[in-house]
Amino acid sequence: MTQTLVRRGATLVLSLLAATALGAQAPQKELPPPLGTPKPFVLPPRHELSLPNGMKVTLVRFGTVPKVSVYADVRTGHIDEKSNEVALSDVTGEMMREGTATRSATQIEEQVGGMGGSLAINVGDDDSGIGGTVLTEHGPEMVKLVADVVRNPKFPESELPRIIANESRDVAIARSQPQSIAREQFVKTIYGDHPYGRLYPTDAMLKGYTIAQVKDFYARNFGAARTHVYVVGVFDESQMEKAVRDAFAGWPAGSPATSKPPAPHTGHSVTLLDRPAAVQSTIMLGLPVPNPTSSEYTALEVTNALLGGTFGSRITTNIRENKGYTYSPFSYIATHRHDAYWVQQADVTTKFTGASLKEIFGEIDRLQKEAPGASELTGIKNNMIGLFTLQNGSRVGIVNQLEDADLQGLGPDYLSGFVKRVMAVTPSEVQHMTSTYIKPDQMTLVVVGDKATVAEQLEPYEKPVP
Amino acid sequence: MTSRFRLSLLVAVLAVAAAGPALAQSTKSGPALHVPEQYYKLPNGLKVVLSPDATVPTAVIAVYYNIGFRNEPRDRTGFAHLFEHLMFQGSQNLGKLQFIRLVEENGGILNGSTRFDFTNYFQVVPSNAVRRILWAEADRMKGLAIDTSNVNNQRDVVKNEVRVNVINQPYGGFPWIDLPIHANTNWYNAHNFYGDMGDLDKANLADASSFFHTYYAPNNAVLVVTGDIDIPATKSWIQEYFAKIPAATLPPKPDLTEPKQTEEKRFTRVDSLATRPAIGLAYHVPERFTPEWYAFGLLDQILAQGRDSRFYQELVQKRGLTGSVDAGINYGLGNMFDYQGPMLWEVQAFYDPDKKGDDLLAGFDAAIEPLRTTAVDQATLDRALVKMRSSLYAEMEQFAGFGRANLLASFALFDNDPDRINQLERGFAQVTPAILLHTAQEYLRPTNRTVELIVPAAKPDSSHK
Repeated sequence: MTQTLVRRGATLVLSLLAATALGAQAPQKELPPPLGTPKPFVLPPRHELSLPNGMKVTLVRFGTVPKVSVYADVRTGHIDEKSNEVALSDVTGEMMREGTATRSATQIEEQVGGMGGSLAINVGDDDSGIGGTVLTEHGPEMVKLVADVVRNPKFPESELPRIIANESRDVAIARSQPQSIAREQFVKTIYGDHPYGRLYPTDAMLKGYTIAQVKDFYARNFGAARTHVYVVGVFDESQMEKAVRDAFAGWPAGSPATSKPPAPHTGHSVTLLDRPAAVQSTIMLGLPVPNPTSSEYTALEVTNALLGGTFGSRITTNIRENKGYTYSPFSYIATHRHDAYWVQQADVTTKFTGASLKEIFGEIDRLQKEAPGASELTGIKNNMIGLFTLQNGSRVGIVNQLEDADLQGLGPDYLSGFVKRVMAVTPSEVQHMTSTYIKPDQMTLVVVGDKATVAEQLEPYEKPVP
Repeated sequence: MTSRFRLSLLVAVLAVAAAGPALAQSTKSGPALHVPEQYYKLPNGLKVVLSPDATVPTAVIAVYYNIGFRNEPRDRTGFAHLFEHLMFQGSQNLGKLQFIRLVEENGGILNGSTRFDFTNYFQVVPSNAVRRILWAEADRMKGLAIDTSNVNNQRDVVKNEVRVNVINQPYGGFPWIDLPIHANTNWYNAHNFYGDMGDLDKANLADASSFFHTYYAPNNAVLVVTGDIDIPATKSWIQEYFAKIPAATLPPKPDLTEPKQTEEKRFTRVDSLATRPAIGLAYHVPERFTPEWYAFGLLDQILAQGRDSRFYQELVQKRGLTGSVDAGINYGLGNMFDYQGPMLWEVQAFYDPDKKGDDLLAGFDAAIEPLRTTAVDQATLDRALVKMRSSLYAEMEQFAGFGRANLLASFALFDNDPDRINQLERGFAQVTPAILLHTAQEYLRPTNRTVELIVPAAKPDSSHK
């Protein structure tokens, strides 16, 4: 029997320095009172094991609320769809809840409802999570239910037309939302015909899927060797470990996870999608950047937070708090396995579409030319460290953090080393990240808006911004 | 994980952080958890609730003012919400953006929101920053230091908020703005609280000053601090920063009552951006903390929450009319606890053009009517109670423990009794099949409901291949 059992703990000290930006006020103003002594935030220890069939398991006891989250994360999703199979993974996921060899669809839902939970099946680009959160006393029962759904789906053909109709409706509604329209075009430009670039299926494609295709997709892509079960919350460890071993023992390993790295587009591109009379333009502006396995990734995360990723960030301050062009600007780094892109999004008043772009490019340019001040950067780093505590301070947050790190193949020290890595980022590194990776002349720009008003405003951006 | 139907991915996921209430023995019928809390008032009338929990070294600081959008001036619709934005624009010791930066630079997150009966401001921060945030909240409770340019800027931001959430979105304002307007008759409950663009244009600095001095007083507010806190130290800081703020004379409370609805109402909205029809339902719900209100909470669980619910089983699984049914009391704006006044239970579903609204209604009625004719069995009631208990815990844990602060603030502000948080489970456990039956008979009457139909009028999808 191959088994590894590792216990890990890590202590993080939140060394939050004073908000020195406030020091430069007029003398008659009161200064904020001092901070207390920072308290250490301890990442809860993980209990990790591997089953003989290759399935990995992580158990994390956390919190005091009598609930437990159980998720089976399977390394399959859109990545395993062929170009004529867009959303087949989503249809397969929905069909998995339509019954198992021993449970009807209704029995599944009533059982999980009776445990105080619900069953989620979230199909993503690289992985799919099947599970939910239930009251503690039902933890082992939830493990059994999740295992049954993952291992023994019945795939009743009678339900397929309904599932496809639901998917078709969801796609139609998404395609009427400007943010979804922009995103579909944005990922298409960056990833082309790679699965990451195909956001929605055509209706004809969707309606052609057969139960044989669904069963085949499942058979090709689900198995113990590409599954990692996470259990986080309040539970009895030995009882839970036994429940997981019993429920998943004997599940065949299946084929290894797909490796299909994209070759993302990095050139200049401008696409305007017409939405006649729209009162706002939906902007997505971004490009591929180093991914979480890069040694520069943390510096890039800090750069993003400072540039557009926080409420007090430069772009948000500029186009929202100073100009009032928009309500909800936000930049972020989206990740796939060993792949990432940076993007700035905003829904801006139509007549200020060009003006908003000018300000966004202006903020990028400023950060390329001049390193941020030490106090501004310290504030951003403190914010990221605080958010890290919050992200790791909940059951589902812990599951997400572990899933992301494991998907990237990052070692156990990745999460425990986060604070140290953030603290080490310097002002000149942020400037360097911006000039090296946030390059306007290589950006994909997608605008969804009123062409009659917006086209002219985009003219200055038709050629690469130097 | 990147999924197809998420608009913004990898925006820091903060939801569902752990709270840590002390646990008593959990049983099906008795109270299963106890949230520790201390409640007192300062001489100036400020209500204070403290609730320690050291699971994670963070704390929540929340200030709730007892002024919601119901009560805004009649010719200034949307003003309560606009004013919420102005509270971030500067106070005596913190200029524009400095409040926001103070929170973020100290490792925290912040937000404010405007709801039916309150406007709130809250921060989740590392616990060593509690004192600093209390100082900042007190600074803006003392008074704002803003000018016309701040009002103009935030008016533009708010108009963009309305555009992104309503005007430029298919199904914008469905059903959460539409249904209260049509289901209610009293102006306070039935106006567009996001605001008419013309009314927003009229708002000025003088309005802001008058609104602040009328409603933003310590005797119209509650301060809640939860999480990893030192009680004596926190009390002394609250005394230091808040005790000197003077009380104000509050205006009389408006009459919010709604007459009993006796006929079903229906209305349609043509949506030029939508491509699929949708249906929304609203039922007036029983008054808070009555036996019928507890029963209605369980009816919501039985009918509408989870895929084991009767709506899901009837409309999705059996009839194939829709992919999901979403519902709740105070839907889209809160929960069944955080309001004070008449309230609606709202239900919504999207469907296909080859079906009619009446097909959907027939499905809803097929799920509802058995509850109005026959008492449920014990197993149904038991599952509803388990789901309710679980959803209560989820509510309290929501958003890094903010959910617990929200309940404590609401019960202090509206009921002068934050310990109600510890009485909820008992209230639900006392519901009998007979109470459920008579509650369903009275409140799930078709004549107690308002029906909204969205008629899609977007041109057929031309953008996709």
